[in-house]
This record gives sequence, structure tokens and C-alpha cells, in this order.
Amino acid sequence: MTQTELLEKAETWFADQGWKSFPFQRKTWKAFLQGKHGLLNAPTGSGKTYALWIPIVLQYIKDNPEYKTKHQKGLKAIWITPLRALSVEIQQAAQRFADELETGLTVGIRTGDTPQKERAKQKRSMPDLLVTTPESLMLLLASKGYKKMFKSLTAVVVDEWHELLGSKRGVQMELGLSRLKTISPELRIWGISATIGNLEQAQDVLLGMAPAFRENSVLIRAKRKRKIKVQSIIPKTMEKFPWRGHLGLHLLDEIIPIIKKSKTTLVFTNTRGQAEIWFQKILNRYPEFAGEIAMHHGSIAKDTRLWVEQAIRNETLKAVVATSSLDLGVDFSPVETIIQIGGPKGIAKFLQRAGRSNHRPGEASVIYFLPTHALELVEASALKRAVKEEVMEDRIPYLLSFDVLIQYLVTLAVSEGFKPSKIFPEIQNTFCFQGITEDQWQWCLNFITLGSQSLQSYDEYKRVEVSSEGIFKVESRKIAMMHRLSIGTIVSDSMLLVKYVSGGFIGTIEEYFIGKMKPGDTFVFAGRTLELVRLRNMVAQVRRSKKKSSKIVSFMGGRMTLSSQMSAILREELQSGGEYKRNTPELKALHELFHRQEQESIVPAENEFLIETFKTREGYHALFYPFEGRFVHEAMSSLLAYRISLLQPITFSLAYNDYGFELLSDKPLDIQQVIDNNLFTTDYLFDDLQKSLNSTELARRKFRDIAVISGMVFQGYPNKMAKTKHLQSSSQLLFDVFRDYEPDNLLYQQAFRETFEHQLEKGRLRMALERIATQEIVWKQCEKYTPFSFPIITDRLREKLSSEKLKDRIKRMTLQGEK
Amino acid sequence: MQQISIHNNEFLFHPTGTAYWKDQDMLLVADVHLGKVSHFRKHGSAIPAHVAYQNLEKLTDVVNELSPKTVCFLGDLFHSELNQEWHDFTKWVEYTAATIILVAGNHDIIAPDKYLALGIQVVPSLDIEGFSLTHHPIEQENFFNIAGHIHPGVRLQGLARQSVKLPCFFKSEKQLILPAFGTFTGKYILKPTETDEVYALVEGEVLLLR
Repeated sequence: MTQTELLEKAETWFADQGWKSFPFQRKTWKAFLQGKHGLLNAPTGSGKTYALWIPIVLQYIKDNPEYKTKHQKGLKAIWITPLRALSVEIQQAAQRFADELETGLTVGIRTGDTPQKERAKQKRSMPDLLVTTPESLMLLLASKGYKKMFKSLTAVVVDEWHELLGSKRGVQMELGLSRLKTISPELRIWGISATIGNLEQAQDVLLGMAPAFRENSVLIRAKRKRKIKVQSIIPKTMEKFPWRGHLGLHLLDEIIPIIKKSKTTLVFTNTRGQAEIWFQKILNRYPEFAGEIAMHHGSIAKDTRLWVEQAIRNETLKAVVATSSLDLGVDFSPVETIIQIGGPKGIAKFLQRAGRSNHRPGEASVIYFLPTHALELVEASALKRAVKEEVMEDRIPYLLSFDVLIQYLVTLAVSEGFKPSKIFPEIQNTFCFQGITEDQWQWCLNFITLGSQSLQSYDEYKRVEVSSEGIFKVESRKIAMMHRLSIGTIVSDSMLLVKYVSGGFIGTIEEYFIGKMKPGDTFVFAGRTLELVRLRNMVAQVRRSKKKSSKIVSFMGGRMTLSSQMSAILREELQSGGEYKRNTPELKALHELFHRQEQESIVPAENEFLIETFKTREGYHALFYPFEGRFVHEAMSSLLAYRISLLQPITFSLAYNDYGFELLSDKPLDIQQVIDNNLFTTDYLFDDLQKSLNSTELARRKFRDIAVISGMVFQGYPNKMAKTKHLQSSSQLLFDVFRDYEPDNLLYQQAFRETFEHQLEKGRLRMALERIATQEIVWKQCEKYTPFSFPIITDRLREKLSSEKLKDRIKRMTLQGEK
Repeated sequence: MQQISIHNNEFLFHPTGTAYWKDQDMLLVADVHLGKVSHFRKHGSAIPAHVAYQNLEKLTDVVNELSPKTVCFLGDLFHSELNQEWHDFTKWVEYTAATIILVAGNHDIIAPDKYLALGIQVVPSLDIEGFSLTHHPIEQENFFNIAGHIHPGVRLQGLARQSVKLPCFFKSEKQLILPAFGTFTGKYILKPTETDEVYALVEGEVLLLR
């Protein structure tokens, strides 16, 4: 069949559905059939699945003219999706086309949710299209006979590539593809990405360094612009509006009319804990919503999540409180309205959420923004401008992630074993490892075989063994099993399953939360009040409770930072044209707050850098306001604290938010000294920063993930934790051990590098410091806390830095005893 | 170093977390957890191998310094089955002049006859002159209990949201719990009451808190 005939087949099918293909779809079909690789830039709900699935089927038809009668066995394509929740949708869409063209092609799903029986069946006979996650793909590479399995592969499609790109899952994907490029000769690689600032780079990362792939590729952009209207929910009186907080419950009543007047509303929160609380509070205050609202987040059982997704499609729900678990993919046409609670911190994320609502053609999508504290209104104002000016953030790819490489090498060693001479060129051709040196490669090989860089006598280290033919292979079944259980790059706290005593799975929660509870205690999870009956083998057995409980399940982490693009706009908004020329509704509403700020201190103008000091019961506060986003403040605060600590023995507690940071001490701090000594200088920046990182927790926290991903810390067998507890060591202890004994360890150094590159986003700190150097420093000695300082000084998540002797410090401290 | 008196017996609390019982010329050592590093390595976790020597080096130093007649381990001497570290340990035993006693703990799964072959006595507990030495802390009528197992630590708090956690000797009316000796171990935070005494290990010193 000629290409024209093939394309006609697709067009006919489209016409039969009453649809018309988009130019970007036709472009993609052609490019694919010409054997090209590429990246498709298309938003959710635009028909991107058909843009790539159709040519895969057409290629099959072309290769097998008798396709209607003779089904050619074997895996043809892999569809990678970052979220399991999306797989069903893709499967249905793909199967529909395959069936209606009578191809006999099958579409299967393989994710962490897929039952063992189904997985075994797939191993015997693969479906033609496999919808899966990066982790599950890795698991396939960890199984025997994978080369044969992937031999007939014609395409890998990486959906939502922008989501994977800026994470280690992206690196995992790069490595997986590097292998497939060799073993699947017919392979075409395609990515699908929403709009980000660095689309070209996204394409390069996906395809790798090999010219054969790069040069034979295209970037296709779907030209569909959506109008988006941002509507802030501004309280009628600002007096009751809190100066801090992250829940926003005081505005709960304001969203009820919004929910009531639309068919279905998605209420997005930033964290799972926040979703739990909002869901509960809406029901408490408006019991009439019972049965009409639901909750959706990553820790809720899959059945429940699927039920919620189906209910959205069936229009049986008025509202769903959700986290990023509903950000992507799935197309929910009945959704009319989106409410975002709290600052989304990034423009891309905000737009993605806005795009979840299905709007009438020609009309703008409306997204309501509910600020959780007063200053967040500035963010709303900034967001509006960002949307208008089409500012987009970059997703920064990871470089030289040795932890992921080590995991990958062990994966290959678990399945068929590998020869370094074959694998090394593949690795060098990935974007992530384009700069890897021979020495670093040898280091990684030594790490997995010797557990160190020199052979030690009597050592019993065992992970990967080298056969006499030079094949690197895992021989121990136990190590192989432990490795398969550990594949993945998302590190979370130990998770416990929550189940009814009578059976029935409700979801997963973090060990740290349930660890604080005793049997008989009640808590609220997944919208239900539950009583803990017992903890057994990593399962929290519960029963329903009628008691009222105020303990709502909380989850760790999840704090996000403002992107640099957002913070620049935010700064401008705040300082735009002087104090009283603020003209957006958000800034007008903040009039009172600005007034208070100016009474106690100032609202800094564009050329001013504000420092405030004051004393409270807690100690001596010094606040700095660069307005550069949380991560830069994190770095800048430890840098500054470190430099001050060189001048005098002192101990600081550090706090930061997106607007500024605080150095809190039990001694007064002389800001004049900071100014006179030019402590904001960019001289010796990285040197000082490295030293300051040594004394804070930043790098240590990064190391935690690295230790888990590289397999130094085993997270345990599911449901069998107790038995293997002795194999779990704390990454904290490991970090200290490396610092003291092996500071040149590549994984230990990676922790620092990642802190620099990803936490600080490549020199953002330097740019911020350079900007401060051009500003006039205004030091205000205040009587008491100011509106700007309030959210920071009340933050409990803190770093510490000290140049004092521990002995001297504890003299001023009190022992924490039984009350 | 801190010298304290318990029921007219003199004890020295050493910065290594060991206690020297003067009247018995005995060094008490809790929770060394030897073998832990090798155990991890054997299961594919690449902890630097030389960390394993740390514990024995520290042990050698403190024994040389105090040269006690007896060294009594209060349990969890060995973390796991026989491995390379056992081999190193046997060398240490040969080198050490003191008599060695092991009060067995929950992690001590190496067969007692292996210890016996090295001339080490293994006992479930040891009662000496009104003192009972055990691994798990116990209460026993008319005895002052010295134990390990807990890996005790305390938390201190100060102005400006400062807080630190320190390993410690934890003494209550009828009991003394020793800090864990092993380098590659964690600690468990206790909250002392008014009558408890806490001796914290701080940068090479032992300090009485409160």
C-alpha cells in the first residue's frame, strides 16, 4: 500500500467518526511513515493519541498486506505514560482504532497495578501495543529474554515527556531507550510534550546524541491556542484574610456558589494532605454534597481512583478535590470549572490545570485562583500577567545521574547480563551521560562489582559478578529479587497499606503518620473516619469509626518553589510603579496589608533590597527579601549564614518562602557588619556555597534519594518489612560515612552537584546576587514583625547552621524531658 | 570523663560511651553491632568497607587507655552471622589481655561455642554485688540494673528554634542505660523525668545535663 493510500485509510476513519484531522496529526502521520523520529508538541485533549497511534497501525498494515487474516505476533509499540491513571484511556482509544480497521491488533497495559497473572500472560505472549510506565519498562529490561521481546518493536512513544524530562524518571527513560535503539532495529522514537520553554532541548534529550536519530527527526507543533481567564477569589473584607497559611479554608464558602453553578468542578490542591482536608471540610460544612463530591490523589486505592475518573465522565459528580494525580492526560469533557487552591508556583502547571476544563469553542477557559494567604494574591496577579505574556518555564534535564546509571546497570545484570564494551557506547550516546569519562564509567562498574574502588581482602561484597567471559551478571536470586523490588527513581517514605480488618484496600499512607498512632486512635483518610485496629507487616488494619476525628492524614514533602520566570514577574508586580499605582484587583485588595507593611517597614522599590530586623520572644530575627523563589532563598540563606558565621561563632535557624528568608539567632545580628563585609558578593560563590551546604541538610536530603536509587539503601519487601529491617540502613548515616571516609565517592558528590544544578537552577543564585549588588540595601530595624515577615517567621520547617562549639551551644539550651 | 558513684561503687563514664567500673576493674560496652557493615555489603549495599574497622579501633583505644581486667559486652556485639568482621574480631580478642564476657542480646545469633572457643563467656545476664548486667533493661528487686539495647539519646532545645540530639548515658533511680558503642548505629530519643540523670556525649566529652 502506498503512503497516500494508507493516509486515506486514516482520513476515512476520522470522517466516519464525524471528525476532521488536524494539520499536526497529518504531519505526524507522514513523518512517522517516512521513518522519522520526533517530538510532538500538543496539549492534552487535542487528539495526540491518534496522532501517533494511527501511523503505528498504518506501518503494520504496510508491512503486513494480509493483516486482516494473518496476525503477525510480537510487540510492535510501547506507549510510555508517566501516570498509571492515564493508561486505560489510551488503551481504549488505541483499541478502538485497531478494531475498527480490523487489524486484530491488541492493546495491553502493564503497570504496577497489573495483576501478577496478567503480567505472566503478557510475558508468554506480548500484546501488539503495550501501555506502560518508565518503571515497568525497566522491569521488562530486568527480565530474561528481553532482547527477543523487543526485537519486533517499531515505535516507542513517550507521552507527557515534559513531565518526565526534569526528573530522574527522564534519565531512566533515556537509558531504557539507549538499549532499545540497539536491540530494536526498526525503532522510531517519539515524544509528546506540552509547551515548555525548552522544547528543542526536550527533543534532543529524548533522542540522545547519536546523529542517526537526531538528524532524522522533526519537531511538530500543534497550533491550538486556548484562551485562559484567571479569576482570583478575593475575600469581601481583607481583615479576616490571614497573613500566612497554606490551606485557604477561610475562603471555603466562596467556592460553593462556583461549584453549584457548573456541571463538574475540579478543585486542585498542591498536596495530598491539603486535598484530604478540603474534602473533609466541604462535607462538614455542606453535608448536602455527600455523594456528589469525591477526592482523587495518588495514595488512594486504584479502584477508587478509577471510579472517580469514570464518575467524572458520567457527570455524576459535582466536584472532585484532586492533586496533580489529575493534572495530566485524561480528557474529562464534563468538567466546566477549575479551582486552584494556593499558588501553583509555576506557569506551565497552572496552564495545564486550566486546560483540564472543557470549554465551548471560542470561549475562554476560566480558572479560579484561591489564595491561601494574603501575599499569594500577588502571585495571582503575577500569574495573570504570565499567562497574558505567554511566559513558559524550562524543564532542566538531569546530567550524570550516576545513581540512575548504577540502577540501570544492575537491571541489565539481573536479566541477561551485559558486556561493558557494548553498553558504554550506548550510555555515552544519551543526553544525560554525554559527558561521562572512562574513569567515571569504571567507577560505576567497580561500585556494582566490588562495592568500592579497590579490591579488599576477605571482602564479602556481593552484587554483580563478572564471569570468565567478562559478562557482568547478578547470580544471587536474592539480590536479583531485591533489585527488581527497588527499580524506580521516585523515593518516598515507607508506605503502609491501609486495609479494613475484613479486607478491602483503602489506600497507602506514610509510615511516619501512622507511626504516631496507637490502636484505637481514629483518623480521617480518603474521606472516611477510620479507627486503627492494629499494625501488622506494613499493613494498617482499620475499621470504620463513628467518632469525630480531627486527625486528617498528612503527607510529607511536596513544597514547591516559584520558577524563576514566575519570581521575576512577581517581583515586578510587587514593585510595579511604586506603592499606590497598583491597579490589578488583587493588588488593590492588598491595600491594607501594604499599608501595614509600610508602617512597620517599607515595600521595597525596584532598586531596593530590604532587610528587616526585630526581636521577639523567640530570639533575634533578620529577614531578607530577594523575591527569587524558595530554592534560591534556601541557597542564599545558607550562603549568608555561612559567611556571617565566619565572622563570629553563631548559630542560626533558617527559614524561607518564595519571597524571602530569615536568619534567626539567639544573639543579635549586626546587619551593618553584613553590609560592610560585602557578604552578598559573588566572589568565591561556589566555594562558600559548597562549604555552607556541608553544614546544612540540603545535600543530605538529595543524598537520601541517591542512596535509594543506587541501591545502597533497600526500602524493603512489600508487606514484609519486619524481616528485612536489618538490611535497611539510614541514608543519613551513610552520608556521614562517605563524608568522613570517602569524600570522592561519585554518589556522594552527586548530591552536591544536584543541589547546585537543580536546587539552584544553574546560576540563578549568582544572578540574584548580581542583581542585589546593583540595589540599594535598606535596613529597617522594626519594632515587631511585619506582614512580609510573618509567613516566614512562623514557618516550622527549618535548616540550621552553626559555627559554635556544640558544648557552648548546649549550655544555653534546656533538656527536653517528660512534662 | 565523668566519675559517678552508684551504691558506693565508682564508675567512670568514658567519651566513647563505655563505662568503667572501678571496683570490679571492668569495662562495660553496649551495642557494638559488629558485622553490620559486612552484612550490608554482602547484600549488595556498598558501604565503605573500612568503616567496619572503626569499632575495633575505638575499642582497642579505650581498652589500652583503661586496661581493665574484664571487658563486658552488654549485648548486640555482633549484628549478624559469621563474616569477615568476625575474623577481625578474633584477632582483637587474641590481642586483648582482658577477660571478655558477653551478655547476649537480641542480635547475637552467633553460636555461644564460637565465643567459647575464643575464651569468651556468654551469659544471659550477670549479677555482681547488687548490680545486674543485662542487654534489655529490666527491673529486678534489690538490684541496680545496667543495660544497653535502647541506644539512648536526648533532645535539647534553646532560643531561636535551636535543637540538638545527643547520645547519652541515661541513669534513673535503679538503672543505667549505656549509649550504643557502634559507629554505624542510630539513637532513640528518651525524655528524662526530674529524677533521671543524663550524661551526654559531646565532642569527646561527657557532660552532665541538668
